[in-house]
Amino acid sequence: MAIDASPAVSARGVTKSFGQLRVLDGLDVDIPRGVTYCLLGPNGSGKTTFIRAMVRLIRLDSGELRVLDRPVSRVEEIYSRIGYMTQHKALYPDLTVEENMQFYSGLYGIKGQAQEERIDELLRMVALSEHRKRLAGALSGGMYQRLSLATTLIHQPELLLLDEPTVGIDPSLRQTFWEYFESLAEEGKTVIITTHLMDEAERCQMVGYMRAGKMAAQGSPEEILAQAGLRPTLRLWLAQPEDDAALLRSGGYEAEIEDGAVTVILKSHAQIGDVLAMVSAQDIRLSEPRLEEAFRRLSEEA
Amino acid sequence: MNGPEPERVGVVARRVVRQLKRDRRTMGLILFAPIVLMVLFGYALSGEMTGVQLGLVDGGGHVSLRSYIASLDDFDIIYLGTQSDAEKLILDGRLDGAVVIQPEEVGVMLDASSLQISERIVAAVQTGLSKEAMRSDAYPPITTRYIFGYDLKMIDTIGPAILGLVAFFFEFIIAAISFLRERTLGTLEKFMVSPLSRVEIVSGYILGFSLVAIIQSATTLLIVVYLFGVPMRGSPLDAFALILLLGAGALALGSFVSNFARSEFQVVQFIPLVIIPQIVLCGVFWPVQSIPNFLRPLSSVLPLTYASDALRAIMLKGASLSQILPDLIFLAAFFLLMFIAATMMLKREVG
Repeated sequence: MAIDASPAVSARGVTKSFGQLRVLDGLDVDIPRGVTYCLLGPNGSGKTTFIRAMVRLIRLDSGELRVLDRPVSRVEEIYSRIGYMTQHKALYPDLTVEENMQFYSGLYGIKGQAQEERIDELLRMVALSEHRKRLAGALSGGMYQRLSLATTLIHQPELLLLDEPTVGIDPSLRQTFWEYFESLAEEGKTVIITTHLMDEAERCQMVGYMRAGKMAAQGSPEEILAQAGLRPTLRLWLAQPEDDAALLRSGGYEAEIEDGAVTVILKSHAQIGDVLAMVSAQDIRLSEPRLEEAFRRLSEEA
Repeated sequence: MNGPEPERVGVVARRVVRQLKRDRRTMGLILFAPIVLMVLFGYALSGEMTGVQLGLVDGGGHVSLRSYIASLDDFDIIYLGTQSDAEKLILDGRLDGAVVIQPEEVGVMLDASSLQISERIVAAVQTGLSKEAMRSDAYPPITTRYIFGYDLKMIDTIGPAILGLVAFFFEFIIAAISFLRERTLGTLEKFMVSPLSRVEIVSGYILGFSLVAIIQSATTLLIVVYLFGVPMRGSPLDAFALILLLGAGALALGSFVSNFARSEFQVVQFIPLVIIPQIVLCGVFWPVQSIPNFLRPLSSVLPLTYASDALRAIMLKGASLSQILPDLIFLAAFFLLMFIAATMMLKREVG
């Protein structure tokens, strides 16, 4: 994770109302560069509005919003560095897969050999190489979604804003997507993804949990779990549970005996190796706390 | 399968009514548009002819004919010295006709590119002379001369205007619907977040569709000239260029109007509002001179008025581009204005 000094997106007291409805309500957040960042939250929590505000499709009522070191009022200057994928797929059903790609490459001035190479690469990534001559309108829902993502990535944007990019995509391909997003983040690009799916959020390096137009919690998934007091636990079945539990406690671990097995509460996953080196377990089970539980607890506290 | 179940029919009908009630714009159009259109048609068709530019060359005699013509509201009389002056002004399109009064003979010079106007002038002269004949026995011969369009058929005078109407109608619809599609597909929003500027979007659109316009104009022009034998006394290229200019204006208008529609359903409702007034008020089927005065200002801001005038001039009178310059200027201005409006409206995307 290469975190640049200045955030990719920075919001201070950002508000936006549509009529009586306050969709963004004093939102404060810094989204660092070079990470995969999930904007998580229930429907209507303001995720999409926030994304649209970043590209100035919506004018804010008040607050300060900066994108790639520019005030959002001047974000037009850097549109070529931003990739924006809307919930509408923004494709032409009556053009082929390839023609859709060519159109969007053209908009960003990608031509000739470079264009062909880029299209090949992206179609491979979204597993549409074999369908390049098909009309986009004839693709299945998932394929259509993948093509939409590919058109968004065409100009190698340094900031990606993806509004629900994995809806309708099967799990194995979803895996490919996440790996690709992670590789983009490693290259220093910032990938901001909205989702209402917790398991998706768990894959992000950072999560911002939005509720009612505010940032209710944010950090890495581990940090959020820790904030909510949730930690991974390791259950160990041991030959001498009593002795081993004592040994672990003397090593600074929280260890308790339940139903004949020892439960160790971990501070981080790195501790798993250390714990297993200290004792010889016959069987182990790792329980991961879920973000869902963390957010439930955090919102109860709030 | 069972027969129709009244209850289910009722469910469907109720839903339709409920949706209509929610779509205020549609409701408004359903109630309002027919009123406007019927009133337009009614006035346009029942109006007295006025503002016909009639030259009068007075060689003496026939006092009552002269005073009768002068007394009519139909004509704006322009007094001229010689017949050749009259002929020249008719050629330039500044007069709709002329009456040459001489003691032994009455001549009527006509521009038959509008049959209705020609008929009106001839009828006025005949009536004037018949009043005179009641008093004296001298009933001089009338010689009628067509400066243009002698032996023109109905299709000849209407055909050129129809060319404009067809081009305008289709370019408008194509642009309005496909621009709307950009919005519903989400591509327009994506353009907004790309280096593409609003002027580039609208320009690209109009340029792309002008290919359609070129093919369409060429086809309709060929049909009108070769199938229906409408004369082409001027340059076909001039006529073609003029139709394209009108088409470009219609494309820009369509792009502009699509901003006010949220569905194809709503776009379709704009058609009568945009197209029918042009059919009624722009001198396509009947001359602008027969439209009541209070509707004339409307005629004078509608592009088809200028296009049909120019197309008639080119095709029937062999006018060159310099002779229809005012029409060209208006059409260019209309295009430019609509282009700017379409571009500005795109901005409203930003909420």
